[in-house]
Parts: sequence; C-alpha cells; structure tokens
Amino acid sequence: MNKLHRYFLKRLFYSIFVLIGLSIVIFVIARVVPGDPARMALGPRAPQFAVDALREEMHLNNNLPTQYFYWVKGVATGDLGKSLVTKRNVTEDIKEFLPATLELVALSAVFVIMFSILFGALAARHKDKWIDSLIRVMAYTGVAMPSFVLAVLFLLFFGYIWPVIPVLGRLSAGLYAPPTFTGLYTIDSLLVGDLEVFWDALKHLLLPALALAVGPLFQEARIVRSSMTDNMTKDYLASAVAFGMPDRVVMGKYLLKPSMIPAVSVMGLDIAAMMGNAFLVEVIFNWPGISRFGMEAMLHKDLNAISAVIVVFGLIFVLVNILVDLIVAYLDPRIRLGGGV
Amino acid sequence: MENYLKRYRGLTLIGLLAISLVLVLAGCGGGGEQDKAPGADGGGERIIRISEANVPNIDPGVGSDYSDSIALANIYDTLVFPNHDGTTGPLLAKDWEASDDGLVWTFNLRDDVKFHNGDELTAEDVVFSVERMLALGEGYSYLFTDVLKEVKALDTYQVQFTLEKPFGPFLSTLVRMCVLNKDQVMENIQDGPYGDMGDYGKEWLITNDAGSGPYMVEELKKQEYLRGVKFEDYWGGWDEDAPEAFEILGTTSPSTIRTLMTRKELEITDQWQTKEALAALNDLPGVEINGAFTGTILNIMFNTKKAPTDDIHFRRALSYVFDYATVAEQLFPGSRKARGPISESLPGFNEDLQPLERNLEKAKEELAKSKYADKLDEYSVEAMWMTEVPDEEKVALLLQANAEELGINVDVVKVPWLSYVDQVAAMETTPHAGLVFVSPHYNEAGSILEPRYHSRSTGTWEQGEWLQDPDIDAAIDDAIGTIDTEERLAKYAAIQEQIIELAPTIWSFDQAEERAYQASYIHWPAAEKIKNGEPATAVMGYMYYFREFKVYPDKK
Repeated sequence: MNKLHRYFLKRLFYSIFVLIGLSIVIFVIARVVPGDPARMALGPRAPQFAVDALREEMHLNNNLPTQYFYWVKGVATGDLGKSLVTKRNVTEDIKEFLPATLELVALSAVFVIMFSILFGALAARHKDKWIDSLIRVMAYTGVAMPSFVLAVLFLLFFGYIWPVIPVLGRLSAGLYAPPTFTGLYTIDSLLVGDLEVFWDALKHLLLPALALAVGPLFQEARIVRSSMTDNMTKDYLASAVAFGMPDRVVMGKYLLKPSMIPAVSVMGLDIAAMMGNAFLVEVIFNWPGISRFGMEAMLHKDLNAISAVIVVFGLIFVLVNILVDLIVAYLDPRIRLGGGV
Repeated sequence: MENYLKRYRGLTLIGLLAISLVLVLAGCGGGGEQDKAPGADGGGERIIRISEANVPNIDPGVGSDYSDSIALANIYDTLVFPNHDGTTGPLLAKDWEASDDGLVWTFNLRDDVKFHNGDELTAEDVVFSVERMLALGEGYSYLFTDVLKEVKALDTYQVQFTLEKPFGPFLSTLVRMCVLNKDQVMENIQDGPYGDMGDYGKEWLITNDAGSGPYMVEELKKQEYLRGVKFEDYWGGWDEDAPEAFEILGTTSPSTIRTLMTRKELEITDQWQTKEALAALNDLPGVEINGAFTGTILNIMFNTKKAPTDDIHFRRALSYVFDYATVAEQLFPGSRKARGPISESLPGFNEDLQPLERNLEKAKEELAKSKYADKLDEYSVEAMWMTEVPDEEKVALLLQANAEELGINVDVVKVPWLSYVDQVAAMETTPHAGLVFVSPHYNEAGSILEPRYHSRSTGTWEQGEWLQDPDIDAAIDDAIGTIDTEERLAKYAAIQEQIIELAPTIWSFDQAEERAYQASYIHWPAAEKIKNGEPATAVMGYMYYFREFKVYPDKK
C-alpha cells in the first residue's frame, strides 16, 4: 500500500466521523424547532389518541439520545423511517427523488466542465483581447445572476415567447417513465431502447440543467483562465517547448493539466453544492427532485425526511470530495508520486 | 506561447460540439408534441388541470387538506352530497331517516353502484370505511371520533349509524366519509399497527384508489401530479362534454403557473397566487378570475384573560377603531367586510347582522369606560401574525395604526406558525392578539362556532380568545345537538349576536378564494353561479367536482 492509498483510506475513515457528526447535528436541530411533528402530520384537529400513537411510533416520547439510537438502528437496516409528508418510507422517497436531482446535476456538471474549460482557455488564449473581455462580462453576469432568476427567465422565454422546448417536469404527457434501473430517465430509457423517452427526457433536462450550471460554469472559467495565464510564463513550459515536444503534449500535459488543479477543486464542491442549491430551480421547473423534497420536509417538520436528505447530501459531498482528491492527485504528480501528501 | 494556444483546437472543437448539442436539442423542439409537460396539452383531450400547493394524499382515511379534498371528491363517492344551495342531498344513499332523538340514522343505499374494479358497493363497504377512518384517527376522522358510537350493516343496501349524542350537523359531515372497496383494500394490506388489519391498506392507498367515484386514479407521482381518468361505468352517467380526465399539479410557483395558463396547459390556478400574479393572469385572453367565498375569515383573536385585552371595553374600543373598509376594499380587493364570526356563505349565518364598520367616536367612548383608560402607557398590545402568511402583516400594521389613534400601543410581532401553535397552548403565553385565518370544517355555522368559541377548544390554534364562557358553551352544545335544521340554524344565529356582544375578536374580513381559470373553453358550474349571484357550495373540494364541468377543446 503506497502513500496515496493510505491517504485515501484515511480520508474515507474520517468521512465516517463527518457523517456521524452531521447526522447528530441535524438530528438535534430538527428536533429543537418548535412544534409537535406528530400533530403537524396528523393535522390540528386529529384526535389525541392518534397523535399519541404516532409520537410513540416515532419514539418522540424518548429522550434525544434514545431517539437517535432508534434512528441509527433503522438506517443500519435500510429503514429511514416514515415521511410525514408523503406518508411512506423515506427510503422510497429517496429512491424516487434522488435520481431526478442526480440526473439534473449530472447534466449541469457536464455543462460546467465543458464550458468552463472552453471559456477559460479561450479567455486565456485571447488574454486582454475582446474575446477575453466578452467572456469576463459574461462571467460577471453569470456569477452574479442567481440560478432561480435564470430559471424564471428561461421559463418565461421558452414557456411562451419561443416555445420550442419543454419547460416543466421530467417527461411529456402521454409518455411513461421507463422501467427503473437507475432512476435516471435518460439512462433507463437507453437501457430498454426507448429512444422517444430518452429524447424527451433529455430535452426536459436541458433548461433546468443550464440554469443550474451557469453560475459555477463562469466561476470555474475564470479560475481556468487565471491559472492558465499564470502557467504560461512558467519555465517548465519553455523547457518542454525547447525539448521539442509535440504541441499537443505541451498543451494537454504541460499547460492545461496543471492549470486544471485549482479549478477541479472548486468545481467538485460546486457540483456537489448544486444538489442542495437546486431547490428553487426544481420548484420553478416542477422537477421532482430531492432538493425540493428536502425543503418541503423542513417546512413540514418531517423529521425522518430531513435527517435522511441531509445525510444523503453529506454523503454526496464526502464522495465528491474524495473524487476531487483523486482527480487532483491524477493531475498533480507531487501528490500521485507521494511527495505532496 | 501564443503559437501553442492557437493550436488549441481540440478544446474549441469540444466547445463547439457542446453548443451544437444545445442548439440541436432546442431546434429539434419545434413546437408540437414536445411542448407537452406534466399537465400538458394532451391534444384535444377534454381535461381539467388545477394547481394546488401539493400533490394530494388520496387515502380517504388520511387526506384532509384542500388538494386532498378535491381529489377525494372526484375519486370516491360518499353517502350524501353537498348541494350548491347549502343543503345536503343524496348520492350513494337514496334516502335516510333519523330517529326522533337524533341518535340513530338509517341510510338506504343505491343498488347499482360499482367500484372502479367492477365490484358491487354494499353496506359492508360503508361499515368498513367508517371503522377504518376511526381506527386511523387521521384526515377527517375528527369529525366522527366523538360522535359515532356504532355503525352496522342492516342488510346489503342498508346501513345504520348510532351516535354517542345528538349531533345536528351529522348529515353535513358525511360528505367527508368516503366509501372504499373493502375487498380490494383487504387484498392489499401489509404489516402494520392495526392488528388483523395490518396497515389497513395505507401503503397501497398512497398511489391507488379503491373508490366508486366518477374518476379513477391513473397515475400519482409525488411532487408532480395526480392524474385521474373518467370511470366510464359511473352509475350517475356522463355528459358528453364532461372532462375525460383531471390532473392536480403540485405547484404554486407563479412563473410556472403563468406559463401553464398562457399555454392553456392549466385550466384552474391554485388560490395562493398573489394579487399581482392574478392581475397578470386576468390579462391573458380568455382567462377570468373567480372569487368564491368559502367561509374563511381572518380573525384578530384577543386573549380575553390577559390585561389589557381582558377588559371588554378595551376590546370593543379596538373593534370600533379598526378600519374594516380599508381591509376589504384596498388590502384584499374582491373580499368583503365580515358581519360577525360567521361568513355569509355558511348556512346558519345571521342575516340580521350588518357589515362591521369603523366608528372612532364609539371607540373613544368604549375606551373611556375601560379600566385601562388612564394607564394606556403601562400596557401594549402584542399582535402576532404568521411568517407563512405575509398578507397578515398588512392587517396587523393597520391595527397598529388604528389603535394609535386611541393612544393604544400595538407591537406587531412576526412568528412562525408552529411557534404560534405552541404559544396558544397556554393562556399565559397566548398573545393579546393573534391574526389567524379559520375555515369551516363542514358546511354549517356550527363548524366555526364550536372550535372557535367553545371552551373545549381553548389551547388550540383555533381559539386564541380563551373565552371560556359557560353561556356560550351551553348555547353551542344546544345548537349542534338540535336535529331540526331550521331550529338549529336559528340557534346559531342567536349565538352570533351573543359573541359579538363580548367582542372577543375583530373579524377583519370575509376572504374570497380567488383563482384564475380558462373561461373561454371550460364551463365551471360554481364559477357561473357566483357570477350570476347565486350560492355555490362552500364545502372544501366540492367546488371542483369535475364531473359537472364541461370542456370545449375546440374553443382553445
């Protein structure tokens, strides 16, 4: 086991404690907010016996540590408890809503990665020229404009000024969701060879994914540009050229690759953050995602759903962080070869 | 270095491909089929799509909010049906009779009713549905828990209810007792906390129905929509222009709603659109706004046990100084001045009452009689409004401004709803004034009077007054225990006068539930009645009984 492997195992090990800490914090916070969740779930006029029964079922009459114990015990067996809003097991909700957001964020991530590199590299190449200035203005606008504003603009524009693309939901009326393998309609429809559903699902994804991607995309583009312009003046690049290395190698290996390191770190976190930030975009595009579900859960003090959603988000953050570290290690030989860890 | 960057064509190529992808996706959209979204045009389908705050819970033992009530009214049948004129008519029950003491009610059922799966509906199904609702204790069960003693099937088409005590509005409440197919539910029970009944079919009924109503569930997607399609064999038959399907969309986002209405992909909006959003919708071709009075009043509840609002003259002073006209005409145009604790739209409203008016002179006179008149600087009135209902702030600020004219200091406080519910649980922590919208449980004045002013309901969010008046309690008990409808309604009228005399509340305005709808191609019976000045049912959900609607796709 080399140094790199040990480093990642250590990160993985620490992540377990991060998740436990996160679950405890959210578990406590959710329960100190005023209001009886059982009463909330059953309604203000529900008979007391029903409220008492639900409190008992949810272990709400026990102290916090005991409640947490029951929750952890449930999680260990795959039972995240019952949602007070959807009235079913939260596991079912997560299974249904998480893929919708993952699919949305995945396409956003594709946009972020592709366009941030493209715009960043173009701006660096044309440093201080009009293209650089144009991209800078676009970047300032893109970063300053919240995703929900863009979502509303998209909705209004493509909703009735230029209605060339679907604006709401995951699929058009008359089409049915493909059999569930991953929960991602685009993937599942391809797996069963249903191209009509694939195409329709992809078109539904486009606008919300773009709305979500624009902010991070331009932020990362600025980082790529800045990093590339810095590296252009480095001696190692001049050496590579002097050694007569092919242009493609110099560009890909010696300029772009090291220039991506700072961008990748931010990109990873931004993409993970989209999971939570997608809430308003999901509401506007009527997208049945986990971010919107999480917000609804908070408004209704749906304890089990809140805990589950936050832990899922936490888990995704942890995994993305580790993935980012892996990519950075790939890009940075000091880490990969053990020198920089 | 510039040289290398100029050769950086691979990246540019990727970018161009990405841009092309976006353009191709958009370009291939080209109108037509791809424009359909959840709730989308369905070609020439006769469909009613309505937005609501959430996708409904369609289990009749669980659902009770607005969205749920609309769904249940369309998917399930009940023994009786709420007519637009406020009376209760037959549905599954052909006729019925009550014993002289009002404790035993016997219903004769139709013998031609089929459930959606083809099973016959019998008295056993009614008994099962009642027992299930009471066992679950959720949804609308609160209407029956303290009332019902026993329910039994006398024969295949006859069912008998025995009550714990006389309850005059019993018939009205039965519009909330949906009848489920016992056999179908029992085939789908899973493990659960109800003994032999397992989970009583709760899990299955989240996304399926076991009803006999005019529509049956085709698809329910949480967070998206419920779609119901016409039950061709419905015993009541069909008009040829009746909707073939309905959808309840779980969104109230104004931009989404506006887009859908513009594209004629939504027929009726939710009631939570702002005045500004409704005004914009009203400008769309063919769209009109329907304002329906459903019995909801915004109450400013005075804590009658806490100084200074414990003083009747102090409360009356505030009631007289309040500017009712500004609220009804400027803050909430389309609504109307309240005339007391009961909305004009509810049976049992006292017709002799006049709209409440501001009267500064009387306010000053009353304040002078108050024991706090000389020490106003020692007290301030805490007026709480709910974070979740921003419109309430305007009314609270108006109260503050009005009270200032009398030298009364009002502190306007914003609280989350759940905090308010916690605070009103105890008299000491209940604020001097709480601004709360209250709607009727069933279609009678008693459904407001009992939860609002009977001592049984102190400590709940519905009564921040802590009135605890034995005379009022006795009068309410007497009224709701009266079986004869006319006599009962007369008693309700008298109680309203008694309550107004005590000034426990400022009834700030009678709220109109406003929704935009596509008047050019749908016929909405309740909206037409309201337009013609006729009464329309105020029972939550039944204004959207889609079987009575008509849709003309060719007029889109």
